[in-house]
Order: sequence, then C-alpha cells, then structure tokens
Amino acid sequence: MIIDSARFQLTFEKKYKQMKNIFIYLMLSLVISQTGFAQVDRSKRPEPGPAPEIKIGDAESFTLANGLKVFVVENNKLPRVAFSLILDRDPIFEGEKAGLTDFVGQMMMAGTSSRSKDELDEEVDFLGASLNAGATSLFASSLKKNQDKIVELMADVLYNPIFPESELERLKKQAISGLASSKDNPDAISSRLTSSVVFGKEHPYGEEATEETIGNITVEDVKDYYTTYFRPNIAYMAIVGDINKGEAEKLVTQYFAEWEKGEVPSKDVAKPQAPEKNKVAMVDRSASVQSVISVTHPVKMHISDEDYLDTRVLNYVLGGGSSSRLFMNLREDKGYTYGAYSSIGSDKHIATFSAGASVRSEVTDSAVYEIIYEIRNIVENGITQEELDAAKANLSGSFGRSLESPSTIANFAINTERYDLSKDFYATYLQRLNDLTVEDINQAAKKYLKPENMYITVVGNGSVIQDGLAQFGEINQYDNMGNPARKVVMADADMTAERVLANYIDAIGGEENVSNIERAKISSTAEVQGMKLDMLSVHDEPNGMFSQKIMMMGNVASNIVIKDGKATMTGMGQSQEMTDEQFEEAKMGMYIIPETRYEEMGYTLDLDGVKDVDGQDAYKVIVTNPTGAQVTNYYSVSSGLKIKSESASSGEVVYENYKEYEGVKFPTQLTVKSPMIPMPLKSVVENVEINADLAAADFN
Amino acid sequence: MRKFSLLMLLSGALCLSAIAQNNIEYKEFTLDNGLHVIMHQDNTTPIITASVLYHVGSKNENPERTGFAHFFEHLLFEGSENLGRGEYMNIIQSAGGTLNAFTSNDITYYYQTLPSNQLELALYMESERMLHAKIDQVGVDTQREVVKEEKRQRYDNQPYGTILPETMSRAYSKHPYQWTPIGSLEHLNAASLDEFIEFYNDFYVPNNATLTIAGDIDYDQAEEWVKQYFSEVPQGTGEIRRPNVEEPKKTEEVRDIIYDNIQIPAVIQAYNLPKKTHEDSYAMSMLSTYLTGGKSSLMNKELVEKQQKALAVQAIPLDLEDGGIFIMYGVANMGIEASALESEIDVILRKVQEEGISDRDFQKLQNIIENRLVSKNSTMAGVAQNLAESKVFYGDTEYINQELSNYRKVKQEDIKRVANEYLTLEGRVVLHYLPKSAQPAE
Repeated sequence: MIIDSARFQLTFEKKYKQMKNIFIYLMLSLVISQTGFAQVDRSKRPEPGPAPEIKIGDAESFTLANGLKVFVVENNKLPRVAFSLILDRDPIFEGEKAGLTDFVGQMMMAGTSSRSKDELDEEVDFLGASLNAGATSLFASSLKKNQDKIVELMADVLYNPIFPESELERLKKQAISGLASSKDNPDAISSRLTSSVVFGKEHPYGEEATEETIGNITVEDVKDYYTTYFRPNIAYMAIVGDINKGEAEKLVTQYFAEWEKGEVPSKDVAKPQAPEKNKVAMVDRSASVQSVISVTHPVKMHISDEDYLDTRVLNYVLGGGSSSRLFMNLREDKGYTYGAYSSIGSDKHIATFSAGASVRSEVTDSAVYEIIYEIRNIVENGITQEELDAAKANLSGSFGRSLESPSTIANFAINTERYDLSKDFYATYLQRLNDLTVEDINQAAKKYLKPENMYITVVGNGSVIQDGLAQFGEINQYDNMGNPARKVVMADADMTAERVLANYIDAIGGEENVSNIERAKISSTAEVQGMKLDMLSVHDEPNGMFSQKIMMMGNVASNIVIKDGKATMTGMGQSQEMTDEQFEEAKMGMYIIPETRYEEMGYTLDLDGVKDVDGQDAYKVIVTNPTGAQVTNYYSVSSGLKIKSESASSGEVVYENYKEYEGVKFPTQLTVKSPMIPMPLKSVVENVEINADLAAADFN
Repeated sequence: MRKFSLLMLLSGALCLSAIAQNNIEYKEFTLDNGLHVIMHQDNTTPIITASVLYHVGSKNENPERTGFAHFFEHLLFEGSENLGRGEYMNIIQSAGGTLNAFTSNDITYYYQTLPSNQLELALYMESERMLHAKIDQVGVDTQREVVKEEKRQRYDNQPYGTILPETMSRAYSKHPYQWTPIGSLEHLNAASLDEFIEFYNDFYVPNNATLTIAGDIDYDQAEEWVKQYFSEVPQGTGEIRRPNVEEPKKTEEVRDIIYDNIQIPAVIQAYNLPKKTHEDSYAMSMLSTYLTGGKSSLMNKELVEKQQKALAVQAIPLDLEDGGIFIMYGVANMGIEASALESEIDVILRKVQEEGISDRDFQKLQNIIENRLVSKNSTMAGVAQNLAESKVFYGDTEYINQELSNYRKVKQEDIKRVANEYLTLEGRVVLHYLPKSAQPAE
C-alpha cells in the first residue's frame, strides 16, 4: 500500500509542475497531507518482478561433407567475429610420453610452411586480432572487416604447421623448469596427490608429466598426434558475432572443406571406485605453515545425467559460494581459513566430488573434522527450503548473466549435439531448476556424496599435523609427485653425525688426500633465461681468504670477498660489508670441504635419521653455527657422498656427478633451488684447480 | 593493465576509414536533489547493471586523513538502517546477482549485475546506502582491520608494490595526487567516528553522485523506481570540496633509490601529464602503445628481445582529472644495472622525440585503438561504467560515442610533438628499485 501511495505522489508531482499555479493551493495541501506516509517502506526489501523470459537465441548449423559441424550465432551488437574450433576425442593415456598434449598447441603456432613464427605473430597482431591453438582447440577472433584474413591464418595453422625442433626443445626446457618449481608449490602438490589417489597413475586423469616423460617427447610424437586428432569428423566449430549463416558457410566452405577426414581411435576410460572406507593421503612438506586439505571421491556425473541440476543446487548449498555452509562454518564461524569451497564435477567419463580449504597448520584436524561434518550433515539431515530458494536464485542468475556473451549460445548448441542432450535442454533449464524440491536435493545428497568412502588428502607439515589426522583413517604418505613415499628406516641404529661425516671424508678420497688441499680455484657455468653465467670461486684456506664472482656477459654481476677478517658483498653497483651474523653464515661456505672444519668452528651436529632424497636413502645431518644459523646436509647411505644441502640463506642445493681431482671427489653438477630465484639454477663445474698458485688479484 | 600487440608486416589492405565503434543510446535526467541518472536500454539479455559513481577519490581527502575515500568503499558494504551488517553481499548474491566496487584518485564506483526483475532491489540497495549507511564504531573497527590486511597484501608485501605511492609522492609537490587511495593507516587509526560521519555527509550526497542503469529495462518503470527510492535522499548542504591546486611544472629531475624485498632491479620514470580531458591525452595513449604495447613494440623489441637488458618494460599513461603521470617502468635482466637499463630507455625516448613514427606504425596504432574501443562496450557492466565516467569526467554522456573520433583527430606528427612536450627529461621523477641486499650498511 505504501509503495502504491508513493507512486501516486510521483505522478502527482509531475502534474504539479505542468499545471503550475492553477491548482497550487490544492496541490500543496494534498502534498502536505501525504508527507506523513509518502515515503517508501524501507524496512521491507522490494519483491522481484515476474521472472523475465530468458530468450536463448538460436544457433544455426550446417555440416560439411568431411563431417565438420558448424554452429553460427549471429550477434550484430559489435562488429567482431570469433571462430572457435574444438575436437571431441576421448581422454588419452600418454604413459611414457606424458606431457605431450601440453605442447601441441604452441607447436602448431610455431610457424607454418609459408610463415615463420615471427611473421605469423606479426600478421595476427597487426590486425589487432587473436589466434591461439591447444591440443583440442583452435581459436581466432577479429573485427568483422578482417574476418577473411584471420580465417586464412587460422586455416594455415591448421593445415601447414612445421613443428620446428628448436621450438620443442625450448618448450621442453620451459616445462621442466615449471615442473621443478611446481614441486615446491603446495597447491600443485595437492592437485597431483588427489588425482593420483582418486584415479591412479595408470589413468588419463591420474598420470603426471615428469622430467623423464617430457624428455621422451619428440617432434614425431607431436606430428603423430596432430595427424591423428586434428580431423574434421571429430570437430565442432562455433562462429559467433557479426556474421550471418550465409557468409559463415561461404567462409567455412572456402577454407575448411578440403580438410581431410581420418580414422580417430576411441578409448575406454576406467571408472575408479570410491575407497571402502575413509583414507588419509598425506604429503609431508616441512616448510608448510598452511595445510592444503581436499576431501574427495570419484563420482559419476555429467551434464547429460538426469540429476545434473540437483547436484548443482546441492553443491551450492554445501560449498558453492561465499554464503554456503562450508564458508560460513570454516571461515565466518571458526576463522580457520580465507575460504572453504566444494565442487561436484561434470565429465563424460568420470568426475570427482571435492571439498577443501587451505588452513593454518594448527587447525588442520579440526578443519578436516568440520568439512566431514558438513558433508555428513547434508547427507543425513538435508537442506532447508530457504537454502533451496537462495541456491535456485543464484544459479538462475548466473545462467542469465552467462547469456550476455553470445558464445554461450554457441556452446549450448555444441553441448546439445556433442552430449546428445534433449533438444530443449537449455530452453527448459531454468524451469527444471525451479521445479526442484528440497526432497530432490536431499535424495541427490544421499546418492552422490559418500562421507564414509572418501580420500582425505592433506599437504602440510607432517610433524605438526600427522597425529591429528590419524582419527580420520589409515594414513598413507606420498611424495610431491603423488607417488607413494618409500618407507625409510635407519638400519644402523648406532650411527652418529660424526660417523656420517667420517664416512663422507672416506668416500671423497680419505682423510690424507683431503687434508692436502689448501687452495682451490673452481670455475663453473650456468644458464639463466638463455644467458650464460660464469662463476669462479677461489679458496685460500691457510690465509683465510675466499672470493666468489658471478659474471654475466663479461661483467661481474656479484662478488663476495672474505679477507682480513671481513666479508664484502658487491653487486648491482653497490658494495657493502657483511654484518657479523652474515659473515658467520658466509663462513660456513668458504671452505673447500666445509665438513673438515665443523669441529674447529664450534658447530654442533645432529643426526636426524634417514630420509628419502629423490629416491635415495640419505642421512640427514643438521649443522648449527654459534650464531644459530643452520645448514642441513644429506649424505647418501649407500655411497657416503653428500647429495643435498638446505639452508635458509641459500635455499636447496643438490650435488651430483662427483669427479676426482688430485685424489678428492668434487660434485660437478649443482642445482640450486631458492624462493628468491624463479627457477632452479643448474651449474656445471668446468674446472677444478687444486692447490693452484693464487695472486692477491684473485681476492679483489 | 591492458596489453596490446602491434606489429609490422602485412600490406596496407586494411580499411581504416570505416569506423567500427557502435553507437550507445541512453536517456538521462537529474532529480531535484541533484542525483544525475543515466539509463541505457538493451533488452537482448534479461540482466541489468546498476551502479553509483560518487565523485570522490583520494584527491578530495584532508592531507591529515588520507585513505578515507577507499575506506568508505569498504564501509558502504557494512549495512544501513534497514540492512544488517554484512547483508549487502548476501542479498545481492541470493537474488542471483554479482557485485563489486573500486576507488581511484578521482572517484569511488559501486556496481551490481542482477536478473532484470531485480532492478528495483538493486535501486533500493543503492538508495539505502546513499540515504543512511551504517557508520558506527563496530563497522569502522572491522573494516580498519580488513583495510590493513589489504594494504599489506597489495602494497607492503608485494615485490615492487610500493612503486605507485613512491612515484606519486615525488611527482606531485602540491597536488593531493601525492598520496594514493590506500592512504595512511596512521590517519585511519587516528580518525574519530565523527570524522567518518562528516565525510559521508559531505561526499555521499546525491548531488555528488551519478546513478547508471544499463540493460533489460523499461525506461519509464526504471525512472519511476529511481524517483521512488532516491528522491527522498536529501541534497548535501555544503559545497563539495574539490582541490583547486595547480601543480607547478617541475624544472629539476627528482631522483631516488628505493630498497625493496626484490631480487631484480627496476627503473621507474614518471612524467607529468595534462588534464584527462586535454586533447593530447589521446596522443599520449597512442605513444604508450607505440613504446611498449605488444611483442613488437619499440621497447619490447629493442630492450627485451635484442639487447636483453630488460625482462619486461611498460609505459602506462595514468590519466587523472587534474593531470596524471606517464609512467615508464622497466625490470632489469639478471646482471644488468638499473642505470644501464635507464640509459637505454632514454636512448629510445630521444629517438622518438627526434624521429617521430613511421606511416606504417601510425596505421598500426590506429588499428589497435579501434580494436580496443570496439570491445570496450561489450557488457552491460562495461557500458554502465563508461556512461558514468563520460558524464563525470568529460561533462557529457555523449562522450561515450565520441572517443574513437577523438583518437582519429590525432595526427602522425602529434606523436612526435607530445613525446617532446611531455616526456621532458629535466622535469621527471626517476626511481631505481634495488634489492635490500644492495643497501649500503648504515
């Protein structure tokens, strides 16, 4: 009522202006009489109007003789056109060549028989257009007026890629660096861990590219893939924008009619079962201050499934957004995390349910408890009408917003065809969503969520979190690639840190040979982003002098000098003396064989058992200097050699390829990983000069 | 920042005469309380975007109370007399909508996109916070903590995160652009509740706001609802404070070193720009694209690919109402000193100042600008913001349809001219960002 009266007043005011003074007194009195309740009742939020009719535009379609199915959505709002080609093939198990499909797109864009990579990039950019390829896609877009040109370039990439060897080498190097840095990334580890426990390593969804499998990939493999799978009979093309069917058909026929059909193999995809009871899978990452938790199990769910919409609503209530149960419990109520969410996947073959959060280490078990509680609770007690209504509104809203982009309509048309959906699947989407009842969702919860058959995967600091996780199921340990961790035990219970060091000295050449070394000049090289770095370290132990220079393109990029009881660091045009604390820490690395000096320097040594270091059993020895700085060294149980060290200041160094110089073995390949450098730095020792003649200039 | 690729090659087959920008139609009116309202009808998708632009940014702040404008962006989600704390977002989301807001040196902008049958709700929500937002101690205390975390995350803890504040503080000696929207935590801590309420009463008034509605609307119905919900918001009583400060032209270079938690040095140069509405803004925007927009741009090709002195280099024209800055920003490659990179940047700038640009490069720039502008109005959220900014910054909503023709007025020789006129080496700010480890011991 009150809103009605306010409307009355608004029309009234309009008239007031029009009629000017004629009825001024009458009007005034009316306005005054109404002021008491003329305003909107702001304590009530306005009700929505009748739900708007969602008009899903039609896509027109045609099929070429070679089997290419084309969908055209004409939208003249903006003078631009997008061409998007996708291949519909079964998932491939890559095995020995895992990682191959990641290279296909970039290899296709690396030049054609008539255009070098640079020429191709330049032509695309000059149009202000874009052109990208992937293992199962090819995408181009441009202004309307350039549509012929961009399709010509797209077809050139499709028909004539030359797959240069040099580009594959570059991509492989990039991929291996990326893999190395991902081994330190808890989110990447968590994702490998969950796919590996849910699907297994022998499954297309569970396998991972490794340094070895990436190394196995050849240009021939890329070509084979391209020849096998880039075929029109498994392809769909969406053309969206300022283009009508006639024009599109002419263009597509001109450029894609000659594309040759081919036999494309189909593959079976295994459908793993959920575990018989809850199991914990853990990666011990001692550097973690947060635990990445994922509670997950496989689920058969796809857009073509009759319960598809039920599971969308179910997931929204459980953990789909920032008003959902998981978020409200773990963040808003408990403050464990910045966000907690869940998802129920959709996949033609097999999908996963997962719920998770990143939480601070101390509350890991409590957070797992609450996540499991929420899953059980929704299965056992269901949802409320209010939750259902909010979920429907949110999902309908995002469906409606998605229609703003004309490519959505093309996707709808392709999905309908590709997944054999009923013709009115999208036309009735909102109606079917709206028809869902609380009971429907409660049944879906019971059917699709399996709170007693889940993998609870956690990446975090084992010593803090492991005990608390035991209550949720048997704990299995994994490494950072998602492989079961080897159980390592210290076979020799009497081993001490001192004996480990003594074994090491024996392994590199024995006490006598080692003690003969007084001076050394070690030069090595490394490559960073295509640029060569030269490193030279010079040691003069009797005189307590040390220098380490890093040179780049003939210039000294950094220089550390220890002499006269002082350490100086020079770099970036600046020079500074180290503080006492930095000096003490630098000293730990100034000796040719630091182990020989630990005792006289007053360092304390602790043996912390045997650990698995990249597949090798190694004694872990923690070395602490008088100011408290620590270096952790790992010595191989079998060879006695030092294979790795870790410290806060230098990060992680892996020692490999020991070679003998003057009777003493030195590692000739060092790989440094540090949070301060973007990718692992591999340096190769080129020359070791033992007891070389040194000049004062060596220490400038 | 936007990224563009511009490249050589290709024959002159491109037809440049056809202007691709589509016309955006709209209706507008002003309520008696001063609220300006712009409506754009597009019934293709049943959604609406409703936004309110408050013409208040960090430049309107008291120098002793910086960070207020941005703080209000947080505070205005706290609730109102009729909306409980934290309800704003939940109400919009469970009505099928999505929302957000931002604060700049010049404006604060709030927007939400909903199904079109929720337009009335969107207008109610925005009118609630314009009429009587909840400004109380609990909200202030809560959001102060949130803003502190935001500052740590986005500036203090981010490598090179302090570049903008450090540059602005040196590029301006008088004008309030010398501080950035995030402002000072000390100022926020020191501020009393009354000061926050005063800021709200001064700036969050209809006569300082522009309401924009874009999407599936009925013009008459939308207008009626706007009047119903916004007419009762009282007009502000005071004059809206706007800085009237002429930043003096710098005659001497300002040069400094900042030691940061970084590994790789960076060089920053900043040159003062004319007012946002000045016709040379278009030429400066094109110049920045010429220098660093895309793989084959002048500086990328020379400094990143050929000489390999830089890992990345970027020119950013930060255009502001009272005159912004043109920022050149280069990150050095391993082992390259900041000064070495800087002198190469200067060599290229001088080259452009002396030689200007070629016919082909100029044509390429025009192609890129055209592509950029065509995609600018592809969503209702984008249209709403561009309409509001056209009105507030350029004084005329019709500007939204004139931007491309303004770019078309730029002549090839203008690029050379503005390079000489604004990129004046003697009046610039130069910062070297160096690793903390390179800091000389005190």
